[in-house]
Amino acid sequence: MTFEPRIVGFLCNWCSYAGADLAGVSRISYPTNIRIIRLMCSGRVEPVIVLETLAQGADGVLVMGCHIGDCHYISGNLYAERKINVLKKLLARTSLEVGRLRLEWVSASEGGRFAELVKDFVEQIKALGPSPLAGDKPDKNILAGVLAAKAAAEDFRLRLLVGREKTMIDDGNVYGEKVSEEELDKILNEVIDTEFVRNRIYLLVKEKPLSVKELSERLDLDSKTVLRHVVVMRRRGLITVDRVEGTSPLYTALEVGR
Amino acid sequence: MKDKVGAVLVVGGGIAGIQASLDLADSGFKVYLLDESPTIGGTMTQLDKTFPTNDCAMCILAPKLVTAGRHPNIELVMGGEIRSVEGEEGNFKVKLIRRPRRVNEEKCTGCGVCAQKCPVEAIDEFNQGLSERCAIYVKYPQAVPLVFAIDRDKCIGCGTCQEVCKAGAIEYDEEEKEIVLNVGSIVLAPGFEEFDPSLKSEYGYGRYPNVISSIEFERILSASGPYGGMVLRPSDGEVPRRVAFIQCVGSRDAKLGNNYCSFACCMYAIKESIIAKEHNPDLQCTIFFMDMRAFGKEFDAYYSRAEEEYGVRFVRSRVSRVEEVPESQNLIVRHVVEEEPKDEEFDLVVLSVGMRPPKGVEGLAKAFGIKLNKYNFCSTETFSPLETSRPGIYVCGTFAAPKDIPESVAQASGAAAKAASIIATERGKLTVIKELPSEIDVSGEEPRIGAFICHCGINIGGVVNVPEIVEYVKTLPNVVYAEENLYTCSQDTQKRIREKIKEHNLNRVVVASCTPRTHEPLFRETIREAGLNIYLFEMSNIRDQCSWVHMHEHEKATEKAKDLVRSIVAKARLLKPLKKPMINVVPVGLVIGGGLSGMTAALELAKQGFDVHLVEKEKELGGNLRHIHYVLGSEDPQERLSSIVKEVSENEKIHVYLGAEIANIEGYVGNFKTTLNHNGEKKEIDHGIVIVATGAIEYKPTEYLYKEDERVLTQRELEERLAKGEFNAKTVAMIQCVGSRNEERPNCSRICCVQAVKNALKIKELSSETDVYVFYKDVRTYGLNEDYYREAASRGILFIRYDDENKPRVSRENGPLKVLAMEPVLKTWLPIEPDLLVLSAATIPNPDNQRISEMLKVPLTKDGFFLEAHMKLRPIDFATEGVFLCGLAHSPKLIEESISQACGAAARAITILSKKALEVEGAIASVNEDLCSGCRICEALCEYGAIKMEGKDGKLVSTVLEALCKGCGVCGSSCPTGAISMLHFTDDEILAQVRAALREKKHD
Amino acid sequence: MTEFEPKIVGFLCNWCAYAGADLAGVSRIQYPPNIRIVRVMCSGRVDPVFILEAFRSGADGVLVAGCHLPSDCHYISGNFKAHRRIMMLKKLLLQFGIEPERLRIEWVSASEGDKFATVIKDMTEEIKKLGPSPLKVQVEGLIYG
Repeated sequence: MTFEPRIVGFLCNWCSYAGADLAGVSRISYPTNIRIIRLMCSGRVEPVIVLETLAQGADGVLVMGCHIGDCHYISGNLYAERKINVLKKLLARTSLEVGRLRLEWVSASEGGRFAELVKDFVEQIKALGPSPLAGDKPDKNILAGVLAAKAAAEDFRLRLLVGREKTMIDDGNVYGEKVSEEELDKILNEVIDTEFVRNRIYLLVKEKPLSVKELSERLDLDSKTVLRHVVVMRRRGLITVDRVEGTSPLYTALEVGR
Repeated sequence: MKDKVGAVLVVGGGIAGIQASLDLADSGFKVYLLDESPTIGGTMTQLDKTFPTNDCAMCILAPKLVTAGRHPNIELVMGGEIRSVEGEEGNFKVKLIRRPRRVNEEKCTGCGVCAQKCPVEAIDEFNQGLSERCAIYVKYPQAVPLVFAIDRDKCIGCGTCQEVCKAGAIEYDEEEKEIVLNVGSIVLAPGFEEFDPSLKSEYGYGRYPNVISSIEFERILSASGPYGGMVLRPSDGEVPRRVAFIQCVGSRDAKLGNNYCSFACCMYAIKESIIAKEHNPDLQCTIFFMDMRAFGKEFDAYYSRAEEEYGVRFVRSRVSRVEEVPESQNLIVRHVVEEEPKDEEFDLVVLSVGMRPPKGVEGLAKAFGIKLNKYNFCSTETFSPLETSRPGIYVCGTFAAPKDIPESVAQASGAAAKAASIIATERGKLTVIKELPSEIDVSGEEPRIGAFICHCGINIGGVVNVPEIVEYVKTLPNVVYAEENLYTCSQDTQKRIREKIKEHNLNRVVVASCTPRTHEPLFRETIREAGLNIYLFEMSNIRDQCSWVHMHEHEKATEKAKDLVRSIVAKARLLKPLKKPMINVVPVGLVIGGGLSGMTAALELAKQGFDVHLVEKEKELGGNLRHIHYVLGSEDPQERLSSIVKEVSENEKIHVYLGAEIANIEGYVGNFKTTLNHNGEKKEIDHGIVIVATGAIEYKPTEYLYKEDERVLTQRELEERLAKGEFNAKTVAMIQCVGSRNEERPNCSRICCVQAVKNALKIKELSSETDVYVFYKDVRTYGLNEDYYREAASRGILFIRYDDENKPRVSRENGPLKVLAMEPVLKTWLPIEPDLLVLSAATIPNPDNQRISEMLKVPLTKDGFFLEAHMKLRPIDFATEGVFLCGLAHSPKLIEESISQACGAAARAITILSKKALEVEGAIASVNEDLCSGCRICEALCEYGAIKMEGKDGKLVSTVLEALCKGCGVCGSSCPTGAISMLHFTDDEILAQVRAALREKKHD
Repeated sequence: MTEFEPKIVGFLCNWCAYAGADLAGVSRIQYPPNIRIVRVMCSGRVDPVFILEAFRSGADGVLVAGCHLPSDCHYISGNFKAHRRIMMLKKLLLQFGIEPERLRIEWVSASEGDKFATVIKDMTEEIKKLGPSPLKVQVEGLIYG
């Protein structure tokens, strides 16, 4: 049997969704693999929802919005761009291929372009093969990664930074300094790294109490770094010491405050 | 000459700077306390426990921080940096800049919401980089001032904190400010910097994660530290089983140019190993050391306890290298035992880092125009340990030389005395006295309670339903007014509270917000400004002890808050206005003991304008100093002695009684009456304070043929001979620790090692071919004196170690003296035939101490020295108010330490003498004489001697000496007849609070 | 039926234990909301009468917390006195039919926010197991019954 990817498309109401409609009106055919979800604006694309979609086993996610400058809500698509950027960074830290997520601009008059893009994306996903999270036996390790990424995307600190990214680059920060893309990217990468690892730790110790050494093996991360995260998580009341076994304190997740 | 200014600048907000500031501010001077960092507290805030009592450092320090932070005469200048100092003693102009904090100190309530929302994580310096903090932060939870600061280097300028700060305290655009201060004198207490252990690259610090510094380990031990008080190693969070401490890292190290000894490291290593073992009894602690320098008061007893009770292993060896085992990240410690290299494996290595002069010390010295010594510590002399090279600028704490906390505190008080004495005429001219309205008489009135319930931004309001509490409080009996506030502590709410008191005729005020430990003084001040007695205030802690600890149980937290508020309202209903009794002070001092310390203290008191009675039992002044002919350094002690004696004798304010004895002391702080036996007559003296400076004496040995053979001398006798030119010997042997560190006297006499080195060097100076042997247990030439030990060794003086099993054996079979000593390397008995055998005899307490301690009702240590109020933070005070302590009466110490402590005793005394009357705490014990059965239980229980039994109407009743009572309540809760009540914490008040906390329905 | 929620009265000394409880707050360490704290200047101030009255008024447990032995006490030795007194009182409680475990004395320093929270957690658990105070059952019977 040939592999038929299941793709979820998040399309903005004013341009891309209209473009998809136009493809229909114009009877331009394209592969059947896409399931479209209408949003008012591509800026509504919520990283948590995208990650959940992937965790549920979608083989690909295609986000579409108005061309830059065309956004019905002035700059929603710019925010979408930032969010996809963060999503890609998050995905890069999981073992799921970043290529399963794509952002494109399609205007209301680009029915042809819409069909082309869908075709192209389906090819892209076919080349990648089925998602390791699809089917009855999703890859546990990768799923843990995606769920950690999802939890990280829920994190206040990360959302705050993403939310302010554009203002800080365009208008400058509270000190009136323009922050360069690279600089902000660096900060963002650090926060994403941190949050991703912490959420992986949280999910792991939620299953059963683990030591820093065990965590470090599971995460393939040096134990010194793991300990630093454990210290912060303990201070924030996310995890606590369950017991000490031999010379190893075992940590467990706390249910509160999340 | 310019006019003098009654203000002092104190540079450095560590424990020394805080102590100096408090002493100055309490004796009538305006103080500017400057620190580079955004908070005061210094290094001590990072310590977990303190030796030798293992007290929690924060518990003993926090009250001092709060007092300094709220003192009306202390202005904190945080983030300050000195630029230049012009003028002269009595009138300096100090230019400084104040770095922006970017958080308004007036508006910030310290609630901490900003830090919870800040997206940036930065290295937490307070936890030595072992954990993270945010870009907007306070250094530690109990910080004073409790005002957040923005770390501009880390802040990305996202603007979140400004948005979440309901108090509107964030000011991103704050700029550096230039300030000019006009002060009369300056005290420098900038502290020290830890030695950077990565400079000792052979120990692998920075390369191996499990090699950490002692201050990092201190944070690891702390319950509020990065690992929550669990001892873990940083590489993998495992519990270590074997910990090695390596001593003298950055100290006693000629290669690095740090020849000096850092004073505190031996003791803190012992302390850290004891505490670590208390955390984890299976832990094996090994301390690698050269000499164990446990020279302080009761330190050797602590050292033995570590070894015997806790099983800490001590290995006398210098560690040459530390290597990591790559697989386990364990560490191999290479050291030499008996000339053989040995490798031992450990899980964690702690480097006992030494003290260095503070960062930027050259710039500091330049700005103040003061000289530094060769190590870049502040340059001072033996007989002027507090003076810098520029008149009017004084020094204290570790900036003068490495030292421990009590020495820093004593020296800080000493520096305060010096700084005050040159501007004594300006006392009280710049301090503030607040004009307050007279108190409203509320007696006989039905309680009318006003309640103010705080949201604390979202800290309380986000969890507890504050409007519901307000409605609920209104239903409670006697509550006539209640309202909610965004921040009850803000300046505008203070105004509101005052208005509401007037408007509703309130006679009791309750605030439900944070903790009374930090905020009660503020609200008391507010109601007092509205004319209410300060004791008509009560506070309910619904934040720190409710909303913050039940963040996810909104309903239950609201119920609990109701219980807490109801219970405090029940107490408030019973509150009574209390008077703070005023006690007149006789502005006269009594100093017991006319040695160096006693004379110094008397002179300092006199210089600040107070009459002093100086009582000496001998026929002449000078005490032990009369027998000291040399010091390390260039000063001549005899010349100094005669000039001090002359100064004392010529000072009109000092009344000297020679050959006099104290017959009796009565009274209490402010009003003592002492009877002297002087020249066969009785003389009565009225005075306000007592300084005990009774000194100590040299032990007369019973060992090593002393007294049996005239060739056997004590160090003091040798010094006399050297001074008189009667010295003539080809070979001299010295034996250390004679009468010290033995069964009978377990503690070290502290000064004998320095004394032996001093005399040995003198011998070499007079007769360079004379051979000198020093038999020692540990060479304890602590601090900068280490230089002289090194010099002695380089001059060919032989130092040979002995231990208790193999003490030197002294005999005189056929005439010549023979000393047999075990050579520890060769393991053979080495025979020496010295012409002179010199015994370093112990310094033992003055036998009069017993009698004087009974008269003053102050305690002695087991050894018989006087026991101060607190070994770390109150080294000069007794628990009994108005009685102070200095010099050898406290414990053996060097000349410069005695002088510092004596000046300190004067400063402490002047905090009392400078007041016409003392205001006493109102919340103290009070006796109902009708109920008192005269059983004396309370008298025995009181640690402060505040209970006195008096005959009244034919029966013995207990009387509270208001000036001495601290209000702990121990007497009250032990009184069998219920005659003692504790004002402001009466039985009725506490019981009402208990009942109301438990039951909503009233049934009584 | 709702779960039994014990009421515990805590007498905390101002200098160490109360400060420790504050630190638990500052550090946002969560613990069960069953304690009602009464601040006293020193654990040595806690009169046996207070404790008995707390039980009489319906407390299921009483905690006395002060500065660590031997030498943390702000008033030098108040904690020793408290300790002796509580030990004696525990014996006395038995005679009233109250389990001695309902009365606890603990040492909590100003830097032990974590320890304070743990003590409250432990104690709440323990008293939940013991059930409502026998005295409270009697007293409530008297008053409301």
